[in-house]
Amino acid sequence: MRWSLVWLVLGAAAAIAAPHVFDSLTARHLLVLIAINVILVSSLDLLIGGAGLLSLGHAGFMGVGAYASALLVKAGWAFPLGIVAALVAAAVAGLVVGVPALRLKGHYFSVVTFIVGIIITILMTNMVDLTRGPMGLTGIPFARLELFGWEHTFRTIIEKVGYYYLTLVFVALALLLRWRLGRSRFGRALAAIKGDENLAESVGIATYRTKVTAFVIAAAVAGVAGALYAHYAVFLSPDSFTFVDSFDLFVMNLLGGAGTVLGPVVGPTFLVVVSSLLRNLSPALSHVVYGVILIVVIVVLPSGIVGGVRNVAARLQGGAGRGRAGDAEAGSGSGQRAG
Amino acid sequence: METVVQLVLNALHATSLYALVALGLTLILGVLDIADFAQGALYMVGAYVAYYATSGLGLSFFLALPLAMAVGSLLAMTNYVAVYRPLRRFSGATTFIAALGLLLILQNLALLFFGADFRLVRAPFAGVRFGVLGATWTGYQVFIASSVAVLLLLTWLFLKLTPIGKRLRAVSQNRKGALVVGLDPFRVELVAFALAGALAGAAGTLASGVNAFDPSIAAIVVITAFAIVLFAGMGRVPGAILGALHVGLAETLTGGLVNTQYAELTAFVLMIVVLLFRPRGLFGAQEAKL
Repeated sequence: MRWSLVWLVLGAAAAIAAPHVFDSLTARHLLVLIAINVILVSSLDLLIGGAGLLSLGHAGFMGVGAYASALLVKAGWAFPLGIVAALVAAAVAGLVVGVPALRLKGHYFSVVTFIVGIIITILMTNMVDLTRGPMGLTGIPFARLELFGWEHTFRTIIEKVGYYYLTLVFVALALLLRWRLGRSRFGRALAAIKGDENLAESVGIATYRTKVTAFVIAAAVAGVAGALYAHYAVFLSPDSFTFVDSFDLFVMNLLGGAGTVLGPVVGPTFLVVVSSLLRNLSPALSHVVYGVILIVVIVVLPSGIVGGVRNVAARLQGGAGRGRAGDAEAGSGSGQRAG
Repeated sequence: METVVQLVLNALHATSLYALVALGLTLILGVLDIADFAQGALYMVGAYVAYYATSGLGLSFFLALPLAMAVGSLLAMTNYVAVYRPLRRFSGATTFIAALGLLLILQNLALLFFGADFRLVRAPFAGVRFGVLGATWTGYQVFIASSVAVLLLLTWLFLKLTPIGKRLRAVSQNRKGALVVGLDPFRVELVAFALAGALAGAAGTLASGVNAFDPSIAAIVVITAFAIVLFAGMGRVPGAILGALHVGLAETLTGGLVNTQYAELTAFVLMIVVLLFRPRGLFGAQEAKL
């Protein structure tokens, strides 16, 4: 316990120091992107790592939140209300999708979430009156906060550090939520569903309702991340929320290690940096590498980077007890037998 | 009335192409329980084979068709041996993710090598026109519909009559039972992939003469085809074909009578409505049967 506290303090210090260590505009841009992706992946991990629900439409919910907040704040709402609206809109979308999709088991659920993600993109593209479709939504206001007479507008195009810290607050909240939910009665119910859904049902867990609840929570958090993205980029187009983006989030989660505490931080950090390096060479190449990384991770490292490191550490220590606990928690790869 | 007849005629060839891909997906789902989204990439490769064979090598379109089927078949078998077989100890969901990875890899490799320009292959019989109840059907559309009919018939005969086809059905109906009586699953699975790959390659080639394509067609086609499979219900060959017919008709009629923008949503909406009220699909049996 004391060690994890030390790691927590070190991690927080690193996150706070990061924009001053890497002080170029590009590096700070990547830091904000990493932070937003950490929120997304930690919410996705509630489904994948927590319940073994391989949802593949997560970017769609991010998009719902992004457009909700962008349109409302553009219409005159305050930025914090925009965030709340994004949360509510994405939660509603999650409910509408989750109710039919969660009737399906295993990979049929994954396929349907995948297709729903595509439907959301098509709707964003076609509802031109609302979203301006493929032309993209411009003129989204910068985030503006007023607290006890203090006020600040985050002009993210020239000044990224302030917005990075704002996002970091939400990162902390998202990770805290993921951690607390994992240790709650609700989280244990999800873990039971992941292990064996019929068994969970037979010991009195309302599996369907639990899964729908988790799906709605994950969608709501993704909506908040979308709002943060909207007021950072101040431009939205359906291209930012396609099935490829959902897939990227999925890869981040598996690569970092689904069901681990650090996984949702490690995965996005690694992949955002790698893909931005690759994208400078060629965008198509970066997606080829994504695909290859994904397949290699599934085959070689089923519990992700964090799980892999933990297994190696456990083997070095010879401490079988700790290692095995880590395996059970981290084993998204082995846990996927549930389907 | 004439527009409706015309739309139905147009739907017929769109439908028949979906039917080929949906059938391949169904075969693989039946034998291996893999949602093989990489089939979309084989469709795309089939289209590019037709393009480069006809405009690059100067081959006839009728030679390009078997060539594309062979290439699709080979690629599908490669995917199976290199990716799916090593993953067989994992669940369907894991292999589904790997399939998406493959789709992404192949689609973006195509983007790197073939570029993002839209291509259209010069179709045979383009000048021939038939009048049907005041609407016109081009010779090429007739060629597509009849080629698909022949391919579906051949597949059906293959599954019903040949020993390996019978084994394939056996594995898909009862995998454990088939293994108990000593069937080699590797050969059966390989054949399922080879067959599905050939069908997808053929569909891609046939489509290349009517619809302009770029590498992104891979994802679009396989997603629609999979929506058809879910809509119709897993596992049954006639289901895949009937499902394609329904979705193809609904899509074309929506596009023609309501709004082209929402035509691409039709398949998905149908799928979700069916799943809500009948999660096994419209024609789905309790268990997968071929």
